[in-house]
Amino acid sequence: MSDIAIAALLVATILIASTISIEIGLSVALIELLAGVIVGNTFDLRVPSWLTFIGSFAGVLLTFQAGAEVDVPQFRREWKASVSIGFVSFFAPFAVVGLLARYGLGWNRRESEIGGLALSTTSLAVVYAVLVETGLNRALVGKRLMSATFVTDIATVAGLTVLFVKPTLWIVPFVVVSLALIVGLPKTSPWFFGRYGNRVIEPEIKLVFAVLCLLLWLGGRANSQAVLPAFILGLVMSDHYARHRIEQERLRVVAFAFLTPFFFLKGGMSVSAGALWANLGILAILFAGKMVPKFAGVYPLARRYTAPHATFTTLLMSTGLTFGTITSLYGLNAGIIDRTKFSLLIAVVVLSAIVPTAIAQRFFRPHVELEDAASLAAPATAQAGASR
Amino acid sequence: MPFDKILVAIDGSECSNRAFAKALDLATLANARITALAVEGPLPAYAATVGEVDEVKREKDLFFSALASRVRQEAKQRGLEVDVDVRPGHAAELISQVATEGRYDLVVLGHRGHFLRDHLLGSTADRVAEHAPCPVMIVR
Repeated sequence: MSDIAIAALLVATILIASTISIEIGLSVALIELLAGVIVGNTFDLRVPSWLTFIGSFAGVLLTFQAGAEVDVPQFRREWKASVSIGFVSFFAPFAVVGLLARYGLGWNRRESEIGGLALSTTSLAVVYAVLVETGLNRALVGKRLMSATFVTDIATVAGLTVLFVKPTLWIVPFVVVSLALIVGLPKTSPWFFGRYGNRVIEPEIKLVFAVLCLLLWLGGRANSQAVLPAFILGLVMSDHYARHRIEQERLRVVAFAFLTPFFFLKGGMSVSAGALWANLGILAILFAGKMVPKFAGVYPLARRYTAPHATFTTLLMSTGLTFGTITSLYGLNAGIIDRTKFSLLIAVVVLSAIVPTAIAQRFFRPHVELEDAASLAAPATAQAGASR
Repeated sequence: MPFDKILVAIDGSECSNRAFAKALDLATLANARITALAVEGPLPAYAATVGEVDEVKREKDLFFSALASRVRQEAKQRGLEVDVDVRPGHAAELISQVATEGRYDLVVLGHRGHFLRDHLLGSTADRVAEHAPCPVMIVR
């Protein structure tokens, strides 16, 4: 199939995925991922190079957006309670899955590290959606949960950057440019956005794209990863975006309309349904490898910091989606894991988005009256949290 | 007519608009108090980005705020006052719960909603008819 035929097929798939997502109320990313599995396995498509590039770029953009969506003032208030939950939520499954894969499943060291990282994540978006639906996003428990998720996520991106770096001399300009951008962009962006923003040609979005492409290129030359600087860059820009919601919405529109669909489709297309079917036992082991340590590690801390919603908190901290997919795709693109291991990791990531969330909502959904939520809430947030 | 308190479920769909009109007719005839319950359905399950959740939430808030204004206006034109209650949740569960807690005498709702998901697990109307504590009028 020619590149343009593949593009036509994928864009049609993206359109159908969007309509299905709206009709049945499931996240578009999940539908795109599942659509990718169907399209990839039905048509036996090769993944063209343009799709690999767009997927990689969208992964870094998703990471930047995840950083930009963090409520930094809220994290500053809750960091003491959140750091312990967030760190244990990362480290326990990372260690258990890594050891399990290395010594139980016979994966090599780098494969095991990718497995551990991919399954150590917690999905900020899944947690956030449940908190908003329950009204807990305005309560102390919700704020602590969101902050803990941030800690887990930053540990994952840091792990992905640090564990797989094989530095060349390019690491110097990569680090220098990353630091310069992290320090300089929040200072220069108000001027840039003020002078060139609010135009249909969107220079402010192009600025973000240019910066992320620069990080991708330098990260590649340095044999490192752009995800950590991209995440921190998003983080330092979060205050700016909180004050300029329209800019963030425009960035989301571009990302959701064109870029992230290809990221999730590519993830799905790289999944081998046959490999999954042949390895259901390993799938179950890896799923348990994520869930059991999350429970063993997070639950005791949740009883201390988020009582009486400890089980609810633990279940939500066991979810994963975006960073699990990003990590698994990195492992596949870098040739660290093969398609079978990638398929297993993605399947566990998707299961971990669905199963703990469904159990939390069905059996442990807190019945929080609005008055209760208001009384539990911390002082009004200065920025992002106010509108969340 | 023994209907003093009427609860009508609204979601902005054609069926719900017809149900609301019928509820206004009934309220006029019975001199009943009428409450419109607008249920903001669930947010996208298993979202990948906070942005996706935020955007949907914002769209829902805007949509239901406009809907509340519209039904108040329609009731006013008929010389009636309507209380509008906008709540997040699952439609069938919430309508039955509000009908029970508010001791309503009648629930009025359309026979179908906006989306495919409204039909996947049986229609909201079917489930309300099964679980509501009072008579239910389903409008086609």
